[in-house]
Amino acid sequence: MEYAVETFSLTKIFSDWWGREKVYAVDDLNLQVRYNEVFGLLGPNGSGKTTTLKLLLGLLYPTKGKVAVLGGDGADPKISARIGFLPEESYLYRYLNARETLDFYGRLFGLPPKVRKMRIEALLDMVGLKAVANRPVGTFSKGMARRIGLAQALINDPELLILDEPTTGLDPIGTRQIKDLILELAKRGKTILLSSHLLADVEDVCDRISILYGGKIQAEGRVRDLLLQSNKLQITTDAISDNAVERIKQLIKDEHADCQVFCPMDKLETFFIKTVADAQQQAQPTSGAVSRMGISDFLAAEPAKANILDKLVSAPVSRPTPSQALTTEKVLPIETAESEPDDELLRKLSKPDKPARLKPVARDRKVKTQPVETKPKPEQQVRKSILDQLTDRSTPQNDDDEQTDKSQKQK
Amino acid sequence: MRSIWAVATNTIKQAVRMKIAAVFIVLLLVLLPVMGVSMTGDGTLKGRLQTFVSYGLSLTNLLLCLLTIIVSIYTLTNDIQQRQIYTVITKPVRRYQLLLGKLLGVVLLSTALLVLFSVIIYVITIYTPKIYDADEADIIQVKNEFYTARAALVPPEVDVTKEVEDAYSKLQQSGQLPPNVQRSRIIAELTKRKQLEKRAAVVGQPLVWEFNNVRVLDPNGSMFVRFKYDVSVNPPDLQVYSRWDVGDSRQYPAAFATFLRKDPIRTFREMEVPANLIADDGYLAIRFLNVPLNDTTVIFPPDGLEVLYKAGTFTTNFIRAVLLILFRLIFLASLSLLAASFLSFPVAVLFSLCIFITATFSGFCLESFDFLGSNLSWFYSYTVRPIILLLPQFDKFSPTKFLVPARLLSWSLLAEAAGLMVCVKALLLLFFALLIFRYREIAKIII
Repeated sequence: MEYAVETFSLTKIFSDWWGREKVYAVDDLNLQVRYNEVFGLLGPNGSGKTTTLKLLLGLLYPTKGKVAVLGGDGADPKISARIGFLPEESYLYRYLNARETLDFYGRLFGLPPKVRKMRIEALLDMVGLKAVANRPVGTFSKGMARRIGLAQALINDPELLILDEPTTGLDPIGTRQIKDLILELAKRGKTILLSSHLLADVEDVCDRISILYGGKIQAEGRVRDLLLQSNKLQITTDAISDNAVERIKQLIKDEHADCQVFCPMDKLETFFIKTVADAQQQAQPTSGAVSRMGISDFLAAEPAKANILDKLVSAPVSRPTPSQALTTEKVLPIETAESEPDDELLRKLSKPDKPARLKPVARDRKVKTQPVETKPKPEQQVRKSILDQLTDRSTPQNDDDEQTDKSQKQK
Repeated sequence: MRSIWAVATNTIKQAVRMKIAAVFIVLLLVLLPVMGVSMTGDGTLKGRLQTFVSYGLSLTNLLLCLLTIIVSIYTLTNDIQQRQIYTVITKPVRRYQLLLGKLLGVVLLSTALLVLFSVIIYVITIYTPKIYDADEADIIQVKNEFYTARAALVPPEVDVTKEVEDAYSKLQQSGQLPPNVQRSRIIAELTKRKQLEKRAAVVGQPLVWEFNNVRVLDPNGSMFVRFKYDVSVNPPDLQVYSRWDVGDSRQYPAAFATFLRKDPIRTFREMEVPANLIADDGYLAIRFLNVPLNDTTVIFPPDGLEVLYKAGTFTTNFIRAVLLILFRLIFLASLSLLAASFLSFPVAVLFSLCIFITATFSGFCLESFDFLGSNLSWFYSYTVRPIILLLPQFDKFSPTKFLVPARLLSWSLLAEAAGLMVCVKALLLLFFALLIFRYREIAKIII
């Protein structure tokens, strides 16, 4: 069992009604996802990403080849009890409310009522839907449905998380939160297989990626290896005098190298989150807590030292270094922040026996450690409107803005 | 098991919250009391009760059958079409568990509704005499002829084989056989004619039926002779005069009772007879005399005479009749899940409805083949007929068929219905449904 997910010459051909072979959705695919890594399946629309995931989960049967998920068949209850799956869209029972939805899935896993209840509350809190937990999910916006979908995938505390385009339909803040959550879960030893065509998302979180086209792997490897320009070097400093710049330029010229000097740009994502946070601070108290609801708050404030150490020792894969700006902004505070309540909270998620009381404390604490929003903690009772506000923002337009901007930056 | 239960409760929530069940519930809640008031039947209390029970149960039965078909198909096809099944089937749930959960949910929902509406019908039926302040005679009549469960003595078909053979050979000898007609058809025709003769009484002639081993629970109670007249010529007032003698004809006239009556033709009538007329050894004779007041031959149709006696209570009979409906619903739920396991919603509904309707009229369908020409009937008897025989016979096990004439629906008949409809046919359908569902690709995309 070297790999969490492995496929052997996996082929899926879609035939028409007469049995004539029409489309090679997946073509002789050999995929290997190691334990405890974040693996990204990339590709344009129709490149076979979703089909591959469906084959892994037994929703489709391979035409040729076979798959091994956690060392077995993905449709076997023993194996699927250890998998969390978020489909490309959150397909939910519209007539159930958020709490009932999670309860239903919890019961499918045969979780005892106590554990179920505790996990549901923890997850609702984590995805920020506690205030609307009694509303039918049919009335949810796309972003909220996505959050419930994610909570549903986590209810069994899975070892392997299969996420099909996890960030579609989410606003930049939601996207950021999901990405932080993925990183956080990876720190906790989960294996995550995600598919996406949003390159920025993948770049930020994945250890390794495969780029699919026409059902075949076109490129595969560590994100860092694939993207690193080893013949170039970037030096970032605080603002220094022109004189100093000239001297450095001279130094570089002596090395017979070219150099360019410019002020680094913030990522639009960072800017956006900052702006929204500022706006929230100035707005009336009912809307002041929006960004604090987030997954990132909840998970990222956890004292991750031990985990990171464990990870460095055990995992062969280095944590990817996504965009520089983000890492400094987000990860640094994580490591300095020491808030026990969060740690316990997370343990509670995976170990059902602990009491569920700790959450509100954790929430307040986290707030202080979050560098992006340095404003005072919000009132608990304002959450509902916050959420409405949050979800109102999850329009695709925002998403697109972010996307295009990022891809431009990549160039 | 826990996941089956989770799916079942979710299915019930779906049916209730998506308001599929609500339509049927509201319809029945409104219609049943209205029917209780508006159904008058032939104007008598008994007629009122009979029409109400008949229409009330039939309507409940029809609507619940439709509900069962629609909910079972909707719950599965909707999950597949809306893809909620992606998140369910990837949990530790075997596919058979999902299907059984759906079945359990649908059956539980139907059962709950069936119980609700049966109780409503039952209560209305029981309280109708009080509401209408019926007079004493009416109450006694309905007590004897409606609020009861009676077993029936049916006279055996008279054996006419020998007479038919004689008549045939006579025709043959005299050369009167019609040419180009098969022997079997002539025999069948002669048999029909002879049997009709046995059930017909010309003016002034008697007809006698004899029963042996008649055992009545309460020898001091009553029995009922239930009969229907056909006539060769319609009497002017559509009534037939008659003289009936009932008792032990071996001790005539000591143990005999005589009844003079005038009854309308072509409807079932009942004649109350004391049960102590049965001889100690269980012998009972019934003699009908076509009195000269009539001007027509009186013919009893094949099911035209029975002797009914009390063998159970109305309540238990009603419960058993409701169980018959339940068996149907279980069968239909299995059938619908089978259809939904490989068909889309509209097609599956159509398919199930076709089978439901065919099963409802299976007796009629089967009989109608007997009237086909020989070539066609050969074709049908090897193709359509076996298929119809495979279907359950809803009309054979119709609850109103027992409740309206207050006929005992015996446990053995109930067991037969349960065995055929549920244990054999429904299980078979479910087995195929599981098989198909087990091997189909849930996320199949047809290009």
